[in-house]
Amino acid sequence: MVLPLFVVFWGAFAWFLDSPLLPTPLQVLHTLKVESANGELWYHLGATLSRVAVAFTLAMFIGTVIGIAMGRSRTTNALFDPMLVLLLNLPALVTIILMYVWFGLIEVAAVMAVVINKIPNVAVTVREGARSLDYRLEQMATVYDFTRWQRIREVWVPQLSPYLMAATRGGLSLIWKIVLVVELLGRSSGVGFQLHLAFQVFDVAAILAYSLAFILVVQLIELAILQPLERRSNRWRQPEAAHA
Amino acid sequence: MLELRIAGRDFGQPVLGEVYATITRGDRICLLGPSGIGKTTLLNAIAGLDTSIPDEAVLGRDKLRVGYLFQEHRLLPWRTLSANLMLVGVSEQEAETCLAQVGLPGYGQYLPDQLSLGMARRAALARCLAVKPDLLLLDEPFASLDPIMAGELKALIAGILDANPGMAMICVTHDGEDAEMLANRLWYLDGKPAQLQWNDELGDPGLVRELLGKLRSSELADS
Repeated sequence: MVLPLFVVFWGAFAWFLDSPLLPTPLQVLHTLKVESANGELWYHLGATLSRVAVAFTLAMFIGTVIGIAMGRSRTTNALFDPMLVLLLNLPALVTIILMYVWFGLIEVAAVMAVVINKIPNVAVTVREGARSLDYRLEQMATVYDFTRWQRIREVWVPQLSPYLMAATRGGLSLIWKIVLVVELLGRSSGVGFQLHLAFQVFDVAAILAYSLAFILVVQLIELAILQPLERRSNRWRQPEAAHA
Repeated sequence: MLELRIAGRDFGQPVLGEVYATITRGDRICLLGPSGIGKTTLLNAIAGLDTSIPDEAVLGRDKLRVGYLFQEHRLLPWRTLSANLMLVGVSEQEAETCLAQVGLPGYGQYLPDQLSLGMARRAALARCLAVKPDLLLLDEPFASLDPIMAGELKALIAGILDANPGMAMICVTHDGEDAEMLANRLWYLDGKPAQLQWNDELGDPGLVRELLGKLRSSELADS
């Protein structure tokens, strides 16, 4: 209800101002159509999404391993905790600049900067989960000689899944924002790069068009991938009332 | 088949003292003792769950298959009963057989949380049976069950023991009647740190009665 009202208000205000600095919603849609028709939009969306995908996968994997290690062992936690605090408080911009300065304006540096920014968040969330793993199920797994793989897959992952979901959610929204900055600062493709170009010529319609496209894509990921995944991993929590 | 030479175990303060005992095939031991004395601690040590107790302290365990019925069912709540049993290495068919053995035929596709307490405990017992144990460890198997369910479970366990004369059992309980029904040996754990005060054949009824009397009075002292 609020969103349509906002769009109407925006349209009226833009029409009243009649300035290129505030295009109407229709102008934004038009830009979106043009950009998508000439393929620019898809190319840059694709570039950004693939960076998001790679950075996300790496950060989730490394962060989960670190988080489990820190949650399971007091010594590991004591060793890595100061490092974690440091990285958590390091501004994303600093990591990006340092990566570009040290490794050059290359793809690997861009993705690495994003990964380094994201790992501490994943690690902290997963560490919380690893700390709350039920020792009673651990004992059960020991008595019944579960293999390492069985223990991870059958005992740990289901218990960690709410934490992994939280890390995924927070991760995706954080990562795509950082990816845009990384692209703005040092890549020649991607939504961030397009925003940079649009900024230089004060093309607000393009800025809004690209933002809108990206928000839609992220919403699509949420609806098409994350929510079904979450429902699936939570299914056992609400067993149908088949009580015998 | 199993020899205990446990030097002791403390959690800040000593809980378990020295425990020396042997268990042979066919032994049905009831481990009695006041609550909080360290019965579960001893059971965990025997099961190899206590990493601070060296493996040599429980001689012969590595050759044994152990089935442990914990106080809680400890089935994976996100897996069906059948999948839970299959995780300890049996086929789906064998899992179904084990479930039928404990009076849960056709319950393979149920999730643990869909079962009542008594049924979940029986399902956990089915998992014990699935490993074809040489040693069956039972930690207060009849606790918090109503008398009818407890009686059924007791009969079930007695039946399993009769059918497997080579199987050894250690059953933690507060209740002397459990001992009289299931056991042919009695361990009595007491003292600080706790030691086996009594460890022998359950032959002399007078002695058993005396021991149970002692247990009851210490229960009273506890509460």
